Amino acid sequence: MKILKLRKDRLDFFASVVQQFGEVHAPVEVDGGYAFRRLSRWSEARLNYPRTILPPKKYFLPQRETLFRFVPEKGYVPSAEGLDTRIILFGMHACDIYSLNILDMVFGGAYPDPYYQARRKHIVIIGIDCIPDKHCFCRSMRADFVDHGFDLFFYDIGDYYLTMVGTALGDDMVLATGPLFEQPAEADVDEYKRRSSNKRAAFQLEVEIRDLPEIFEMEYQSGIWDELGEKCLSCGSCSMVCPTCYCYDVADSADLGTRDGARMRIWDSCLFSTHALVAGGENFRHSRASRIKFRFYHKQRGFVAEYGRPSCVGCGRCVAACPVKIDIVEVLERLRGVQHAVSH
Amino acid sequence: MSKPTAGIFGLTGCAGDQLVILNCEDQLLDLVALIDIRDFLMAGSANDTGCDLDIAFVEGAVMSKRDEQALRRVRARARTLVAIGTCAVWGGVAATDESAPRDAWLEEVYGPTGADYDSLPARALHEVVQVDYQITGCPIEKDEFVSAVANLLNGDAPLLPQYAVCVECKFRECGCLLTERGEVCCGPMTVAGCNARCPALRIPCVGCRGPAADANFASATAMFTEGGVSPQDVARKLRTFAPQGVQQ
Ligand code: SF4
Ligand code: SF4
Ligand code: SF4
Ligand code: SF4
Ligand code: SF4
Repeated sequence: MKILKLRKDRLDFFASVVQQFGEVHAPVEVDGGYAFRRLSRWSEARLNYPRTILPPKKYFLPQRETLFRFVPEKGYVPSAEGLDTRIILFGMHACDIYSLNILDMVFGGAYPDPYYQARRKHIVIIGIDCIPDKHCFCRSMRADFVDHGFDLFFYDIGDYYLTMVGTALGDDMVLATGPLFEQPAEADVDEYKRRSSNKRAAFQLEVEIRDLPEIFEMEYQSGIWDELGEKCLSCGSCSMVCPTCYCYDVADSADLGTRDGARMRIWDSCLFSTHALVAGGENFRHSRASRIKFRFYHKQRGFVAEYGRPSCVGCGRCVAACPVKIDIVEVLERLRGVQHAVSH
Repeated sequence: MSKPTAGIFGLTGCAGDQLVILNCEDQLLDLVALIDIRDFLMAGSANDTGCDLDIAFVEGAVMSKRDEQALRRVRARARTLVAIGTCAVWGGVAATDESAPRDAWLEEVYGPTGADYDSLPARALHEVVQVDYQITGCPIEKDEFVSAVANLLNGDAPLLPQYAVCVECKFRECGCLLTERGEVCCGPMTVAGCNARCPALRIPCVGCRGPAADANFASATAMFTEGGVSPQDVARKLRTFAPQGVQQ
């Protein structure tokens, strides 16, 4: 990997140059929080942000999208709208990039998803490092660092960003700026290492994930699931904000007065009673307790069995978004605790 | 094939849902081209008040013997009956307080004639007759109404969300009034479809669409009381638009 450095006060110049590669989107302030939005000017960007309300998955798997239209005379007309828009996501955190690497396995595996893949091909990713806050546990989830999945990645080393060049496109962006990037010196490397170990020490949360799937297996009957089921509001916020929740519903919408229509894809959640409802009225997860249990099992056990790691990246969004303070770190700790996590 | 016939009716309500239908400016010409609206008192006086109807849309709660008779007549005429608006679906604001001393109030308001006044505790349509589909909202959403008509014309059931307002609030990526500001937002208990209109304007949801399919009122009440709201206020808040939903 090519490693360079960029003077921090030249970042805005760099941003103005990369505009020629596509629409620049970055975190901006929204209602006291942050959201990735298209920038109208660079000064709106807030690169020092804890986490965005929605993860960048919204760019790859939009909240609502049209998959194709159907017109009886023409048959199926695939929707290509926005699939090849060149977007630059400027300022993605490592855990969010990691989450895309996870989604790549899901949408690129046995059943490749052409919509996701097309967007993935056209969206440029520029990462930036961050300081963990009280909800972050990405290090425990091995997602505090990414070695691929980005075009460029900036690490703050004081007056400079140490810059990892991840792809040929990233290299093109560097070259397009002329002599803006420099070779790092030994002192820069030392500073990188110093900050990297400081960051490690800054985590306030730690979860042990080794043998967690086995513990889930043993605690299948734990009383914790009923307790969480009583508490959960089934509001779905945790799934909506989760960078690795990829469940969606598919529905047809008809155009008024014709046989034409569109097939839509809309985010869904296993917390909803409709998620496991099938024709004939049978519901595999009728109780709220079985649904919240499923959410945890899917992420921490089922996904490990299928893809070799949990699908959680420890971004903390679900914890921050839950109105009744259901906290994944606490749940995992209690499951591991020797009291069998039973509360009543 | 002749056009399907339709009627649009109002019981005790504010006529807001009928007004939404009239306000579908962009689709109104298409709608009247596709369905033969025979009976719609709010829109015109030349109505056929006895014909059979393929679809009847009924707004408002049942709050009098007269409402009840009107609803039964519509039911007898209609192949498909669709309740429109929170009052028709859940009883609405008028059903908030069933324990109200109705007789005493009637006397207070109407004097001695109050005792003969035709006034009953508010009921949702489904408590009186069989209802085929329900489109909730205070008032209903234009796009939900139009797409419901499109589906009905194709012989399909209207497709309406069952999940909570929070989902659409997150879709729009609004900051959360409940978790970030501690406000009493009813989004988690309320059914989506309004595209989180109020939270998107930084106003807490008051639950005007009635409960989401999976609403958990017990836990929500505990959550709000822990946040310092009295249980009575929580109950009042949650009961405002759909008291029957809260009891379920
Ligand atoms: S489960 Fe929670 S912490 Fe883990 S990735 Fe999803 S939102 Fe982030
Ligand atoms: S099953 Fe649940 S936890 Fe798993 S991806 Fe779907 S919504 Fe997320
Ligand atoms: S955010 Fe909390 S209350 Fe809402 S569905 Fe998730 S766990 Fe349940
Ligand atoms: S503001 Fe209200 S509707 Fe929006 S996510 Fe928060 S609780 Fe739900
Ligand atoms: S946000 Fe709540 S109060 Fe506002 S329109 Fe929607 S359901 Fe009604």
